[in-house]
Amino acid sequence: MFEPSTLPLIVLGLPLLASLASSLCGIWPGCRQYAHLPTIVAFAVAAVFASILFGMMITGNHSQLLFHSVAWTWFHAGNVEVAFQLTADPLAAVMLATVTFVATWIALFSVGYMHDDPGYARYFALIGLFVFSMCLLVLANDLLLMVAGWEGVGLCSYLLVGYYYAKPTAAAAARKAFLVTRLGDAGMILGLFMLWQISGFQTSFDGIFRHLAESPPEPRTITLACLLLFCGAVGKSAQFPLYVWLPDAMEGPTPVSALIHAATMVTAGVYLLARMMPVFVLSPDALMLVAVIGGLTAIVAAFIAIGQHDLKRVLAYSTVSQLGYMFMGLGTAAMIAPNLAVIAAIFHLVTHAFFKALLFLAAGSVMHAMGNVIDLRKFSGLRVLMPVTHLTFLCGAAALAGIPLLSGFWSKDQILDVLYQASLCDQPGAGTFRFVFVCSLITAAMTAFYTFRAYFLTFWGPLKTPPEAGDHPHESPRVMLWPLIVLAIGAVFLGIVVEPFTHYFSDFLSGTPWLQEANRIAGFNEFDRPHLDGLLAITGSILALAGVALAWYAYRDGTETVGSSLRSCQRLSQDKLYIDELYASAIVKPIEAIAMISRFFDGVIHGIARLISLVPRLLAEVLKPLQTGLVQFYALGMILGMAVFLTVVIVRTSG
Amino acid sequence: MISLGHFLTIGGMLFAIGLIGFTTRRNLITMFLCAEMMLQGVVLNLLAFSRYHADLSGQVFALFIVTVAACEAGIALALFVSVYRRSRSLDISVWQALREPGLLPIVDREPLPPPIQDSRDPHLPVAGRKPQRQEELSRV
Repeated sequence: MFEPSTLPLIVLGLPLLASLASSLCGIWPGCRQYAHLPTIVAFAVAAVFASILFGMMITGNHSQLLFHSVAWTWFHAGNVEVAFQLTADPLAAVMLATVTFVATWIALFSVGYMHDDPGYARYFALIGLFVFSMCLLVLANDLLLMVAGWEGVGLCSYLLVGYYYAKPTAAAAARKAFLVTRLGDAGMILGLFMLWQISGFQTSFDGIFRHLAESPPEPRTITLACLLLFCGAVGKSAQFPLYVWLPDAMEGPTPVSALIHAATMVTAGVYLLARMMPVFVLSPDALMLVAVIGGLTAIVAAFIAIGQHDLKRVLAYSTVSQLGYMFMGLGTAAMIAPNLAVIAAIFHLVTHAFFKALLFLAAGSVMHAMGNVIDLRKFSGLRVLMPVTHLTFLCGAAALAGIPLLSGFWSKDQILDVLYQASLCDQPGAGTFRFVFVCSLITAAMTAFYTFRAYFLTFWGPLKTPPEAGDHPHESPRVMLWPLIVLAIGAVFLGIVVEPFTHYFSDFLSGTPWLQEANRIAGFNEFDRPHLDGLLAITGSILALAGVALAWYAYRDGTETVGSSLRSCQRLSQDKLYIDELYASAIVKPIEAIAMISRFFDGVIHGIARLISLVPRLLAEVLKPLQTGLVQFYALGMILGMAVFLTVVIVRTSG
Repeated sequence: MISLGHFLTIGGMLFAIGLIGFTTRRNLITMFLCAEMMLQGVVLNLLAFSRYHADLSGQVFALFIVTVAACEAGIALALFVSVYRRSRSLDISVWQALREPGLLPIVDREPLPPPIQDSRDPHLPVAGRKPQRQEELSRV
C-alpha cells in the first residue's frame, strides 16, 4: 500500500492544496459558497492518512519507528546544507493525528458559523494554510524547516486573529499576538544558532542529537541554548511573561480560537520541548526553570480566569493555565525518566486539544445564538434553549475540570503524578518541584471552579437573553452540532480508552527513538510505564469536585454576586492582576518615549538638510533677474562671454 | 596679390556686421539674416585657411555649414510665419514670455506701432498679373 515514508508528504501536501483551492474559489463569486469543500475534504483525508500512519506504527515492526522521507536540498551555503526532509515517529504521528482530526471538525463547524461572512473563502484558505504550517512544524526533520513551519503558524495566527480587520480591536490584537510571540522567537532563533554551533554545525535533528550525545558540551552552554529555545516556546505557548497576547487573540472568529489558540498552535511550544528532549535532558537547570514557569503560569492564569466576564476569555486563560500544566510535566524530566515527563505532557496536550476545542466551539455556538454577545452577565439559563450545546459544553467543562473518569482527569492525574515523583526525588532541586506540585494542586481546584462558574453562569438560572439575540434565539444548525457531539465523545472517552488501564498511549509514545535516546542520556535504561497513584487520583478528584461544588454553591442561580470581603480579590482577578497595565507602563510607555525622542532627532536632521538645500535657492534668487526673456540680452551675454574667453586666450598665448 | 589677410579681414568684417546687426535689430527676419551673415563670415575663414594650407577638409566643412544653414533657414522661416500668425508682429520684444516668473516685462519708452488688425497673412499675387502696390505690413 503506502510507503510509511511518503505518508507524511501526503498529509503535509493536502492542506496546502486545499488552501490554494479555497483561495481560487474566492476568485469566482459563484464558487465562493463552496470554498469550504476543499478544506474539509483535505483535512478529513489528511486525518485518514495520519491514522494510517498511526496504524502502521502500531502494527509494524517495533524495531523501526522512525521514518524519513526523501531528502531534497532546500538550500546550501558553504558546507552547510539544509535538507527538506520530513520525518515521522510516534510523537509526530500523535501530534499529526490530533491536529488533523480536530481541525476537520472545527472546519466543519466553521461552515455553519461563518456561513454569511463576506470573507468565507479567505477564512478557509487561511485555516488550510495554518494546518499546513502546523504539519510542517510537526514533521520537519530539520531545525530550520521547523522554524519555517513555526513562522508560518505565527503568520496564519496573525492573519486569522485580525480576520475582522476593519475592527480596530481585532487589528490591535493581531499586532499584539505577532509582536509578543516575535519577542520569544528572537530568543529561539538565537538558541537555534547556538545549538547549531555546539552541535558541529548541523541542522537536522538526527545530527544534532547524535553529536550532542557523543560529545556533550559544557553545562553552561547547553543550559543557555535550552533557555533560549524555551524563550520561543514561552512566546508561542503563551507562558508567564509573554502570555498576554492569547486572551486578546479571542478577537478572531471563534472557530479560529478553537483551532489556533486552544487545540493546536499554542501546543507548538510543548511539542518543541518534547521534540528537543534529548537536548534538554543535558541541562536539568533549564528543565527546572521550565517547570517553575509552567507552575507560575498555571496558577496566575487560573486566578485571572476566575474574574473574567467574557466566556471566551475565561477559556483563553484556562488554555494558558493548561499549557502551564504541560510545561510543568515536561520540566520533571530533570528528575525522573524523560519519557514519563513527555508522555504526561503530550497526553494532556491531546486530551486538552479535544475538550478545549469542544469548549470553544460550544462557546461559539452560544455566541452564534446570542447575536455575538459573549458577556456572561448578559445571558443565563440557556440549557432549555440549547440542549445539545449545553450537554456538550458540560462534557468539555467536566473534562477540563478533571472530574473523575473523563479524559482531562487522567491526563491531569499523570502530570500530578510525575510532579509528585519529581518532588520525592532526593536530588538537589526536588524542593523546587515540591513548590511546583503545590501550585499544580491549587490550580486543579481553581480550574474546576472557574470552568463551572462559566458553565453555571451560562446555562443555569432563569432564562435571560440579550436584546442582540433577537426574538427567537435558537439552537445552532446541525452542521455545528455534529462536531460538538464528536468532540464531546472524544473529551469523555479518549482518556480512559487509551491510557490508564490499557497503556496504549504511553507504550506507543515510548517507542519514539529520540525519547529512548533522551532516556539513555539521562541514565534511565529501563522503561517505566506511568502508573496510577490511588492517593493522588483521589486527591485530584476531591480538589476538582470541591471546585465544582463551590461553583455550584456560588453560581447555581446563574448570577454573580460577590461578597464585600471578596470584592478586592475579585477586582484584582477581573483586572488581570494589572499585568497589561504594568507592561504598558514598564515597556510600552518607555518605548513610546524613545520613539518620540527619535522623532525629534529626526526633525533636527531634517532641519539641517533643509538648511543645506537653502544655499542653491538663495543663489537662484540673486541670479533670477537675469532671465529677462529678451533674445538680444541673451545674445549679448554670449558675446560678452566669448569676448572674455578670447581675451584670456589671447593674453595667455601672447604673454 | 590677395593674401590670406585680405580674406580673413573680409570674413571678420562679415562676422562683425552680422553680430552688430543681430544684437541691434529687432525684426526677426533681419536678425536671422544677420545670423546667416555671421555664418558666412566663418565659412569664408574656413575656405581661406583651406586654400592656405592646401587642405580640403576646410572646404568640406564649408559645404556642411551651407547645408545646415539651408535647413536652418527653412525651419526659421516656418517658425516666423507661425509666430507672425499668433502675434501679428515680427518684433522680437513681443516674445518675452520665457522670462523668470514675477519679473516685469521690458517695454520701450516709445510705444510700439499698433498691431496690424488685418487678419490675412501677406501673400503673393496670382502669377501673370502685375502686382498692385501694397503697403508694407511689417513696419519694424
